[in-house]
Amino acid sequence: MKSDLSLDKQGYLLNLSDWTPEVAEQLAANETIRLTTGHWEIIYLVRDYYEEYQIAPITRVLVRHIGERLGRDKGNSIYLMKLFGGKPAGLVSKVSGLPKPANCD
Amino acid sequence: MKFAIAVYGAPFSHQAPLSALAFARAVLAEGHELLRIFFYHDGVYNGNANAAPPQDEPDIRGMWSEFALESGVEMIVCVASALRRGMLDETEADRYEKSSTTLDPAFTISGLGQLIDAGINADRLVTFGN
Amino acid sequence: MKQLLFIHSKAPHGSINAQEGLDAMLMGSAFAECTGLFIGDGILQLLDRQDTTGSGQKNFSKTFAVLGDYGVDNIYCSQSQLSARGLGLADLVIKVKPVSDAEIRQVLARADSILNF
Repeated sequence: MKSDLSLDKQGYLLNLSDWTPEVAEQLAANETIRLTTGHWEIIYLVRDYYEEYQIAPITRVLVRHIGERLGRDKGNSIYLMKLFGGKPAGLVSKVSGLPKPANCD
Repeated sequence: MKFAIAVYGAPFSHQAPLSALAFARAVLAEGHELLRIFFYHDGVYNGNANAAPPQDEPDIRGMWSEFALESGVEMIVCVASALRRGMLDETEADRYEKSSTTLDPAFTISGLGQLIDAGINADRLVTFGN
Repeated sequence: MKQLLFIHSKAPHGSINAQEGLDAMLMGSAFAECTGLFIGDGILQLLDRQDTTGSGQKNFSKTFAVLGDYGVDNIYCSQSQLSARGLGLADLVIKVKPVSDAEIRQVLARADSILNF
């Protein structure tokens, strides 16, 4: 595991190109999250979404997208919050190596 | 009538801010309500606390903060526009690990939702600059 | 629900109006019923297969495809100004409804508030 990651004070990657699955493990560990299959499904989903549309989906859109791609039982905000905590949008972006959202606190 | 104002133009480069300020004063003088002034695009530079214009030119940032003080109208700077252009209050300077703040405290950083809210809740949203 | 109309009239990369206008429309979708209208050089924002590598700008044209996801289903484009630029609907990155000048007047009239970009 890489220990010399360049992170900002909130634990976001300074260089998005540093992202690898191993880096994701570490970013998650910094937030006391251990990544499971459920997390990975979402990480790759949002990375694909960003690659295609050049934007990180807002929570409402992400939840619906999860429902469509990963199964209806997963397409709700409770499922997302169980995996990524109370304010999932920022944390999903952080662990997935997407740009830090400008409008979250 | 309930007005809201959006300012897209930078001070000095464009007439837009001075026109917007004159309009804002007129709105209140005529007894109307002014919900909010929202600064977007280069309009966020209106809040630049470090601007040092020549003494024989208008101090536009100073005029805005005086207006806010006497009218109590909220002046909102779009966070995404502000971050791109280095207009930071203490919270954002800290969040992005920048050494100085640049935004006059008369201005408040908030989200784009405040512009949308102005469009929804004002009877007239008037935009200055393009 | 209030009807917000977002008018996009600037070319995509010469100024930031186009990109920040798209941001505003996406944000608006959370609060109101949003309609997009592309006129003048704003139509060029919708060109398919943009490559911004040379200019160094972000290629946000890919983001137009999410408008449907965000509930912005009514996207209009001036038919006459599309044709004037030698373009057709097949040249655009998303499906839009071409409208005549008379129809544009109706779109304007339906809006409670108009945001210009």
